[in-house]
Amino acid sequence: MLDKRLVLVSGKGGVGKSAVAAGLSLLAQRRGLRVLAMEMASPGGLSSHFGTGPLAFEPREVRPGLHAMQMVRSDALLEYLSLQVGIRGMSRFGPLARAFDALATAAPGIREIITIGKALWEVREDRWDVVIADAPPTGQIGSYLRAPITISELVPTGRVRSQADYMSATLRDPDLTELILLSLPEELPVTETEETLRWLAKEDVVAKATLIANRVLDELTDPETPPGPVGEAARLHRSLWSEQQLWLEKLPPDHILPYFYGLFTPGEVAAHLADEFEAIA
Amino acid sequence: MTRTLLITGAGGVGKTTVAAAIGVRAARHGMRTLVVTVDPARRLASALGVEELGNEPQPHHDEPNLWAAMLDASASWRAVAMRHAEPEVATRLADNEFFRAASEHFPASQSYAAADQAATFVQAKAWDLVVVDTPPSGGGIDFFTAPAQMADLVGGRLLRWITGGPLPGRRAFFNLAARPVLRMADSILGSDLLERVAEFLLDLRTTYDGVSQRGREIERVLRSASIFVITTADPAPVREAIKFYRELPGLASHPAAVVFNRALPEDWADATAPRGTSAALEQNFARWSAETIRQRDTREEFSSRYGAHIATIPWSSSTPTDLDGLASLLDEARELPWVEVGIS
Repeated sequence: MLDKRLVLVSGKGGVGKSAVAAGLSLLAQRRGLRVLAMEMASPGGLSSHFGTGPLAFEPREVRPGLHAMQMVRSDALLEYLSLQVGIRGMSRFGPLARAFDALATAAPGIREIITIGKALWEVREDRWDVVIADAPPTGQIGSYLRAPITISELVPTGRVRSQADYMSATLRDPDLTELILLSLPEELPVTETEETLRWLAKEDVVAKATLIANRVLDELTDPETPPGPVGEAARLHRSLWSEQQLWLEKLPPDHILPYFYGLFTPGEVAAHLADEFEAIA
Repeated sequence: MTRTLLITGAGGVGKTTVAAAIGVRAARHGMRTLVVTVDPARRLASALGVEELGNEPQPHHDEPNLWAAMLDASASWRAVAMRHAEPEVATRLADNEFFRAASEHFPASQSYAAADQAATFVQAKAWDLVVVDTPPSGGGIDFFTAPAQMADLVGGRLLRWITGGPLPGRRAFFNLAARPVLRMADSILGSDLLERVAEFLLDLRTTYDGVSQRGREIERVLRSASIFVITTADPAPVREAIKFYRELPGLASHPAAVVFNRALPEDWADATAPRGTSAALEQNFARWSAETIRQRDTREEFSSRYGAHIATIPWSSSTPTDLDGLASLLDEARELPWVEVGIS
């Protein structure tokens, strides 16, 4: 996973996207890579795992070699217009920015291309070995991945169009981009992941999606159920485990991450996830 | 009088199941009850007797006092335009590519549509209790802020700035100050894109009076509703619940309870495995016991920090697939303020 330039972590809300993106970033940092971790859609998601307080648009070094940033659409828009489209000297509140903001509310693909474009810009810049994004949830990820194509359809010519073509190519290149679809072995996350996979198969916007199942329980091998709490816990564990197995069989993941018992802080969770990824990646 | 109960919280914490379970309980207490859900799991939808999306409440086939509605937010958004625009404008909006995109992208649009529908059901006075499973966007806060945001979208400063002060006619007549900017943007985008967007926004703007008036009605309904915030003890949903507590005042009543779903039995916290327990069972218990302690501490911290009334629902191993399963889900619930539901 860490030999790519861009890793997008998506999944249904509540499956642990931010924690997994943070864990992966910590592992990359441990391995001495120059890492940019990006909060793409949920502000505060990564920063709580890094224990750093709110992040800003400007990347900040949160561990040696690991920078983290938060997507701020108005800042990303200015940067996009100035660096990619070549319009300089705009202010964040200037007329053009406001006009584009109206456009971003109403026109398909604009809001998304500014966000995904920022990630792809950072990939191109070569400041980082890998950009790891806590990406939008599966319900929305499609419109982000498809944004360059949507823009190409909407805008037949011009500078924005040529940027869009390069973005599509980067997303489709299996050596550059990896999409992680994180799920839980439960009905709704599995259903939503299946829908996303069907959509991806149809749209051909990324080369490959890696499926990871999160919070997977170990099998309890002892069949005894003694009276009292020990037996009650065994019974609950077994029934949760067998329910999970049904969903794991329905949609077999490429990797599984274990359930963490009794962990309090987001920082602990991210550190444990980094250890788990060490074994996988 | 129709009571309204709003079930809010992050995604994936079991909100929809809890909303349904409360609804079944209330129906069995003789209250005419409507459960409004947004995106239920298939098994839950079939337990409630709603397999198809549709904004019309369906009476349950074998539970006399129970109705359920599964909201289709995109259909509701369209209904907003139809209700508040002149017929000609409404048709134009419904066919407009930007309208479709805006209804998908505007973050509060699903919440607005859900809030609007829920308020309609409450105002119909056909039920004793309307239980609303709110969309998870923004930790549930969007549901309360959506009416104002919606009015702001169709009548906001930005739109006035682009389209000029007074409402012009059908022909987009752009603000003189905005014009050069629009032309410049057009040259970058290589098409008349912005102008097309502005024309769409002009159409949308004609719905402003209707939308803002309706928004105030919806806010009135929401403000008089009871609220249960559902969470698990996991850090991410707890963070959303905290956000809800911090940002809520002024928009809604104080939540009647924070309900921790998937709670483990409290006596697991201090118990130890008796002598002779196998290593596998002992390790298993130690893990779940640690989890129980974490859950208890999380609840205590929430209660002492935010003065919240804490309730719990035990962890059940599978999602209920029928009405009896739903009803019994709450048998072991603790501290749930049933008085807010209308059951004493």
